[in-house]
Amino acid sequence: MFMSNNKRKQETNTGRERQVEQLLVPDLDQNMERLQLFLGEGADIVHRTLTHRSFPDQRYSLFYIDGIVDGAAIGTMLLGLLEDGNKIIESTDGLYTHLTDRSIAVGKIRPAETIQELGYAVLEGSSVILVEGSLKAIIIDTTGGESRSVEEPTSQTVVRGPKEGFTENLRTNTALMRRIIKSPKLRFDYKVIGRETRTNVAIVYLQGIAQDDVVQEVHRRIDQIEIDAILESGYIEEFIQDKAFTPFPLIQNTERPDTACASILEGQVVIMVSGTPFVLIAPATFVKFFQSSEDYYQRYDISTFLRLIRVISFFISMLLPSLYIAITTFHQEMLPTPLLISLAAQREGVPFPALVEAFLMEITFEILREAGVRMPRIIGPAISIVGALVLGQAAVQAGLVSAAMVIVVSFTAIASFVIPAVNMGVAARLIRFALMILGGSFGLFGIMSGLMVLLAHMSGLRSFGKPYLLPFSPLIISNLKDAFIRVPWWAMRKRPIGMSSNQVPNQNRIGGGKRPDPDQGGA
Amino acid sequence: MITPRQLASTVILFLIGSSSLFLLGGNADRDAWISVIIGMLAGLLMLSCVTLQIQRLEPNRNLIELFKLYFGRIIGFVFGFIYIIYYSYKCIRNVREFADLSIMYLLPDTPLSMVILMICFIGGYAVIGGPGVFFRMVEVLLPILVVIYVALFLLLLSAGLMDLNRLLPMLEKGFKPVWDAAIPEIISFPFGEMVLFLMFWRYTAEGDSGTVMGMTMKGYIFAGVFITLMNIVTIASLGQLSGWSVVPLLQATTFVELGNILERIDPLVSLLLFSAVYVKLTAYYLGASIAFAYLFRVKLRIAAIPVGFGIYAGSYWFKSYMHQVNVGFERNLKVHFPIFQIVIPIVLLLVMLMRKKIRSKGKHAGTID
Repeated sequence: MFMSNNKRKQETNTGRERQVEQLLVPDLDQNMERLQLFLGEGADIVHRTLTHRSFPDQRYSLFYIDGIVDGAAIGTMLLGLLEDGNKIIESTDGLYTHLTDRSIAVGKIRPAETIQELGYAVLEGSSVILVEGSLKAIIIDTTGGESRSVEEPTSQTVVRGPKEGFTENLRTNTALMRRIIKSPKLRFDYKVIGRETRTNVAIVYLQGIAQDDVVQEVHRRIDQIEIDAILESGYIEEFIQDKAFTPFPLIQNTERPDTACASILEGQVVIMVSGTPFVLIAPATFVKFFQSSEDYYQRYDISTFLRLIRVISFFISMLLPSLYIAITTFHQEMLPTPLLISLAAQREGVPFPALVEAFLMEITFEILREAGVRMPRIIGPAISIVGALVLGQAAVQAGLVSAAMVIVVSFTAIASFVIPAVNMGVAARLIRFALMILGGSFGLFGIMSGLMVLLAHMSGLRSFGKPYLLPFSPLIISNLKDAFIRVPWWAMRKRPIGMSSNQVPNQNRIGGGKRPDPDQGGA
Repeated sequence: MITPRQLASTVILFLIGSSSLFLLGGNADRDAWISVIIGMLAGLLMLSCVTLQIQRLEPNRNLIELFKLYFGRIIGFVFGFIYIIYYSYKCIRNVREFADLSIMYLLPDTPLSMVILMICFIGGYAVIGGPGVFFRMVEVLLPILVVIYVALFLLLLSAGLMDLNRLLPMLEKGFKPVWDAAIPEIISFPFGEMVLFLMFWRYTAEGDSGTVMGMTMKGYIFAGVFITLMNIVTIASLGQLSGWSVVPLLQATTFVELGNILERIDPLVSLLLFSAVYVKLTAYYLGASIAFAYLFRVKLRIAAIPVGFGIYAGSYWFKSYMHQVNVGFERNLKVHFPIFQIVIPIVLLLVMLMRKKIRSKGKHAGTID
């Protein structure tokens, strides 16, 4: 179950002797020794041998690793085993069957026959019982231990909406989703990736709603990953995205269960990775990065307004400095005369051309932002004083930069925080620098050329075979209801076309025209 | 693969392309818009009776393959090659228009070679992506540009610049100057240029040629109406002045003042005009590259490089913008382009029809035997 077919094949090829060697033997001491050898030395490896009064010549032995098991479950199980061991019973089944059927007080158990399987189970937090004289051992799922509780997400906050966030624990995360979508069609396909970390990965989708070929493609790409460790979902994202060299994110991520579930309901596939609260959502399109889950909880009019604000902010954060450079350097005639005079007066003492000035300020701001993320929380106020007063106010007074440039750069920075998806904000940040160079050397012509190249680039992007600019190109008019605007829920009768499966006979999300109408109730 | 809607979008922007830079049918003075309508109708006849018929007969072959198939290997190669030259030459003209006007209106101090290089690069980037990328890109671009155009027309209207009386009296000097201005100039530019789409139609996703024909016609008619409208707006805003200025539409917008926010919007308008020119030049670049790829059996990515170099080098042939316009309007439109846009396609269609007849006869005879 935890081994891919490839690995299994390799093992059969290395020789039959090793395979036989790994199989359990009737002698308990020999089995214990081999399991100890497999697990290695460690103070956290707990090993206890027990006996049963009714089976005097058969011992059995319990293995687990302290800290990664659920302490309460181990306690209950041990108590049950000890109590049971003191009873005299008349059994003909043998100790192994007695234990599995009557005395282990844990829900999920399974048999195993090789040392390797037992060893990996112990490493994952299960307990293992080896029984004298039996060729099978029992794996008991006692996975647990300390983990962070479900808390409010820190990166994608909402005013209205669920406050639960994913955690680092895969089981908690799957449970959070199960609690939202109680459908038998919800599927979790598990995989193990990473030679050393053996990280559990779950592919989650709604059968019949997600497109089969997309699900298969996700499976295929994940199966191809050969790496020693997966520490975060970002590893997988870089392995499975369609195109490596692009500033735009081709896969969404979220730490909100409601966002993940909403995507699944629209036919997308969610990839969960054990050890990180960030799950991946694929396929993703450009507009998805401008949508927040809150858009669907707030009224549609304010949601539409906010989405448009986000799109405008994206363009501001990408274009504003370059436009400022281009217009002040090449096309001064476009500005109204009073503004032009005021700008010229400000720039009078500035020693640098606008491009250099803008670059200095942008780089300064990027450094400030990075400092804000990396520094210890306690010295935060110091940074804001240095950033705001020294680098802003004092630089203007010293005549190093113009006040207008400080305004442009600050506004750009604020605008870049509006985009709900951090990775799309990053794309705008990177593109901004390229456009600044183009604007500084070719004016508006350069900026337009840059935008054309960007558009051509985006037209060529695909995410799991879906065009990146999906509702706009190829144009799907009914999907525009939920792209840069959002119409009321009762008007979004259908699931987005193109993302979800076409085989579902009923694509409708909402039955009938359930538009609110007080007269309909017969009043 | 191209959806029918993408095809229609590209037809529209391709036709609008550089025609917004000139006053079409300028020789007919204030009746220019009637010339445009005549040219459009004649072009429509040409499109539906010749160009689209070729596509209908062989929906899965492009022009180069047709030449090879129907004219034999050697003659077909020669015809294919001169079409590469023709497409590249059209592209060169657009590159030059783009570059010269950029320098004139936006970048007075930038050397021409740099501007041409930039244009070739942004065109080439889209071409290397292939027809799918280019057509998707145009589909996104079309609504944006059309909205800005409409906003521009509204601005001209609200600024009180337009006066429809400038169109009167109609047909003052009779019908002849109007007709002379339309045929063959306006057929050759822009309406006859639809011959380029013989390179693209085969990429459409829809199998039946009916949808392809329908969407092409719809796009064509939309573009024709749009160009006529643009012509009327230009004449109504500028009157007699429209015949003299370099870019009449741009001239008209210099008079617009948008409150006190933007004094002169002509740099922005020139960007709008250039976007359409960009689409047109990229379409020709793409057409030439696909033709090159088919003729010499190389990949499109590789074909785009020699074609791009050719276009870059060829752009220096014109000594100035005026030289370019002069060559175009005085010689190319009247003599050279009709050969490629009308004569050769008609010959090709006739050959195709004859071959088909012979083949069906042969089949008929075969069944009797």
